Amino acid sequence: MEQDLAGRQQAKQAAQAAPAAQAAGVKARFEEVSKRFGSGSDAVQALQPISLDIAENAFVCLVGPSGCGKTTLLNILAGFETATTGRVLMDGRPVEGPDARRGVVFQQGALFTWMNVLDNVAFGPIATGKSPSQARAIASQFLDVVGLASFARRYPYELSGGMQQRVGIARALANDPEILLMDEPFAALDAQTRELLQEEIKRIWQNTRKTVLWITHSIEEALFLATDVVVMSARPGRIKATFRPQFAHSEDPAVVASADFMRMKAEIFGLLRGEALAAQRQEEAQ
Amino acid sequence: MSRNQANAASRRARWINLASFAGLLLFWVLITAPLFGSQPLVAPLFLPSPASVYDTFLMLMKNGYQGKTLWQHIGISLFRFGVAFGVTILVAVPLGLWMGMNRTVKAVLDPPIEITRPMPKLALLPLLIIWFGIGELSKIVIIVLALFPILSISAMQAVGGVGRRKVQAAMALGASRAMIFRRVIFPASLPGIFTSIRVSIGIGVTMLVGAELIATNAGIAYMAMSASDFLLTNVVIVGVLIMAVLGYTLDLLARALETRIVHWGGKEG
Repeated sequence: MEQDLAGRQQAKQAAQAAPAAQAAGVKARFEEVSKRFGSGSDAVQALQPISLDIAENAFVCLVGPSGCGKTTLLNILAGFETATTGRVLMDGRPVEGPDARRGVVFQQGALFTWMNVLDNVAFGPIATGKSPSQARAIASQFLDVVGLASFARRYPYELSGGMQQRVGIARALANDPEILLMDEPFAALDAQTRELLQEEIKRIWQNTRKTVLWITHSIEEALFLATDVVVMSARPGRIKATFRPQFAHSEDPAVVASADFMRMKAEIFGLLRGEALAAQRQEEAQ
Repeated sequence: MSRNQANAASRRARWINLASFAGLLLFWVLITAPLFGSQPLVAPLFLPSPASVYDTFLMLMKNGYQGKTLWQHIGISLFRFGVAFGVTILVAVPLGLWMGMNRTVKAVLDPPIEITRPMPKLALLPLLIIWFGIGELSKIVIIVLALFPILSISAMQAVGGVGRRKVQAAMALGASRAMIFRRVIFPASLPGIFTSIRVSIGIGVTMLVGAELIATNAGIAYMAMSASDFLLTNVVIVGVLIMAVLGYTLDLLARALETRIVHWGGKEG
């Protein structure tokens, strides 16, 4: 199944090699994107103009203090919100509203509570024109990928938080999106569940090389998973630094204990600490 | 609290419920029975004993009341309620959903609904009788008028309460507007709609009684009202009890439907 996915991905890459007029291998691009909420004296500048390229097959993690505009950035790429200035391109074309090429996984509360797990995952394939029986077959495959095949007939409220998130991931994957947008998908989970799911996500990414934009509070999570870690400042958000860790390619869960990992973690921690304090002062001032 | 303790507590509450009910019945028996001397504490004209009410019930079952069987009286009441309730659900709920989806529709329909909402609907009955006569229509219309604002407004609010993330998730999965409505917004609104359906059962039964008290010659509330003219207290009480049982049964039915259809209500996932 996963090899199958990887194969499909390679085929797609080959197909996309032709219109390489745009920067080679850029899946999504933010061009001077800023966001302001409200108007007049109540207006809040959520994002400074930000430019960022997300390369094909990259796993990009955005880390930053609360309220720095990480989610806003993701929502703009998803098409849920529009940029106040600048534009967002995907495969060189401007994003105009949400569509099935960008799969989104939320922190929680986004599953369709009235459908069983299988129907949740089959929703995307049906929405994109598959027949119900095809859609169910696809859904079963992806439930298998996240290890929930035996829970297909259960309802979301019968599952633990970690299992619900796996359903959310399977649901996004089932549409075979070109990029996955994940908004703190593991933030509400306990530490053990989170670590297991991180390993699972890493395995899925290594097998599929799906392009990912991932938002997290956790520096460790970012370093463990990402090919690119983008550190954002306190509001109004801008990019403070980018890192290129190599740990995403490692298959060893113990990589988090390596000296390199620790050093990079300490560096990012140092950068973020000042921003987190600034964010705290902003909150207190309100 | 552990599950066992919770079970024990709910068993205890059940026993207390039962004892409380039995106590009320005993009180009724005591004040209507000839305990001291030959006269009961409360004269049968005001409150007959449970046993004699039961006898009257059996008598009504056998002979009917004023040329109609008891079942015919119950049937005509249920018919009025059922038609009014069905029509209201079929019209008010879709309209409320539409208002929730479309601001223009909401702007058009808000004023008439908001103006009529606080009006005591029974006050309109004399007017409705002039318009629709003393037949079934005026009674059905008055129940519809009472339930319409409740059901349409709650359906509209249920749409507004659908989680934004669920709708966003559906959009990002490529769903069309029609599919988002049919498979996300509508089912997500159902728990709220069911709650208001249960509320409106009580109100609908109240309106039914009000309508039957005025101009009709059939129905359970009519039976009680006309029996009151002849001081047939037994019949009045049978009528009151039948209406109570009807209201209770309808609520049980709605609750059973609710747990069956919206089993996910109040649970997050």
